[in-house]
Amino acid sequence: MKARMQMSSSVVKQEFFKKWIKGMQIYSAFNKEMTIMERKRAIKLSADVAIASTRSATTQWSRAVVADVSTSAAGAARAAAEEILGRKLPERKALATTCSKKIVRRSHQRRSKAAARGVVRSSAAIAKKLVRNRTRVLKRLVPGGKKLDEISLIKETLDYIACLQVQVDVMRHLAAAAESLDHQQISF
Amino acid sequence: MNSRLPEMLHCLNSTTSENCEMSVLERQRSRLKQQEQLTHHHPPIPYFNGNDHLAYSGFHGDQALSDLVLNGGAMKPDPGVEHDDFRRFMNYGTGTTDFQMSCALPRTVSCPPYVAAASVDSAAGKESCKKRKAHNLKIAAEEKKMKGCAEEESKITEQNSNSKSTTTTISTSANKNNKGPSANAKKASDAPKTDYIHVRARRGQATDSHSLAERVRREKISERMKYLQDLVPGCNKVTGKAGMLDEIINYVQSLQRQVEFLSMKLAAINPRLDFDIENYILKEMFPACPPAMEPDHSHLQFNTSVEEVSGSGLEMVVGPMDATLRRTISAPITVQQSFLDSSSLNQIQQVTWEDELRNLYSMEYQQGRSTPFISQQITGFLEANHVKLEM
Repeated sequence: MKARMQMSSSVVKQEFFKKWIKGMQIYSAFNKEMTIMERKRAIKLSADVAIASTRSATTQWSRAVVADVSTSAAGAARAAAEEILGRKLPERKALATTCSKKIVRRSHQRRSKAAARGVVRSSAAIAKKLVRNRTRVLKRLVPGGKKLDEISLIKETLDYIACLQVQVDVMRHLAAAAESLDHQQISF
Repeated sequence: MNSRLPEMLHCLNSTTSENCEMSVLERQRSRLKQQEQLTHHHPPIPYFNGNDHLAYSGFHGDQALSDLVLNGGAMKPDPGVEHDDFRRFMNYGTGTTDFQMSCALPRTVSCPPYVAAASVDSAAGKESCKKRKAHNLKIAAEEKKMKGCAEEESKITEQNSNSKSTTTTISTSANKNNKGPSANAKKASDAPKTDYIHVRARRGQATDSHSLAERVRREKISERMKYLQDLVPGCNKVTGKAGMLDEIINYVQSLQRQVEFLSMKLAAINPRLDFDIENYILKEMFPACPPAMEPDHSHLQFNTSVEEVSGSGLEMVVGPMDATLRRTISAPITVQQSFLDSSSLNQIQQVTWEDELRNLYSMEYQQGRSTPFISQQITGFLEANHVKLEM
């Protein structure tokens, strides 16, 4: 069992690495001279799209990452993402996030009312509130997490964490390898 | 046990043969005595007396079987516990990377689901008779058929199908317990388990549909929290949902920051992005290279992360590769044992490496490490070419 698990994760790692490299190649082919921030963004974006494409369309967060890229990225980033994903990204316009002012105001009012009354909360209510706040934070962290309910949020978080671990692992390897190459260049 | 049982049988037989002439009092007394004897004979099985008919049925089987029977008899009041553990065990085995978030059946599952599926009708019969004490609520999702108290069940099915519609946006199959698609493919035998959710309220728990649905939901959440606990380091010490969520948030944030940092580092190291191409070539040629290239301090990090991500089981292949590596790598380099291990770890996938390639690997390794004969202005790219030439 464990061997299979390890196997699958190493397969994922290889897949991610190949896709990532491919994305960066596309990027560097597009524009030769980049500032450090541009390079960083390129690396980050191709890494994100690559890890998302390893779990293509089976999870909410990977879809959210891809959707995000397809709305925001243009030019080289778009080309790289399309290359990584192996398909054309649909032209998508960013959804205008409109929120009803009325509702927002009302919710604020309610909160202020409760605070004004100075209701002493029970410990259970406090605990519930803590959990709710943290869930909200977690929803912000996991891409595409805003639309999820609590059960699927936790499921997505599991998946996302595992993928992030793979990503970090591979990136760390590459960084170490590049660094040691660099050191050799300096020392020679 | 097999050796003990005949004795006991004998005891029983003797008492029953005597019973013909004995009065009720004597009979009781003898039975008491016999029970004493039995308990004396079988101190480790305290519930034996209560279940001796079960023991008879398990008589022909071996020890394990009869033990199982006994346990089954004894566990009857709460069979869900054992079953739940078993499920957890199964899921641990299949691992977290596959994300088989099979929403395991909740702790209050009244009986193992395959039994449930088989004995749906009998359960329905039972339900009517012990409606007050333990209110069984059975949910047939696909067929939408309802038995027993129709109203509550319909509510539950509605609610669950609602939750299904939100959650099956993720899982492709329209399976009730939103198992992952991979899990469905792999465990076909588990599929019938997911058709029903068997909820049983314990004594003193609310039995209306909302409470039951809420309880099912909470159990699902806590089940997944357990997996998260396994995945997130340092999370198993924390108790309470808020604390656990805290840990998870911190961990996710730290991972995201690490990604940021690493991409920044990679951007800083190389003026162009095509630094990766040469590494790419290297990696294509020697897929086990990156740990070999990296300095030792990062190797430590590597080990810890591997523990989490890819699990253990890496040590198996170390032996032969290690030996060959040590043979080919000559004396001048003082290679640490752990370093060798780490380089051979990744070679599990490349078990079919030929000897030449292995030698090359070590040669390349030597070059990269200890031979400073390359001229001063050699660039990394040239070095890569150099390696290629050696090929």
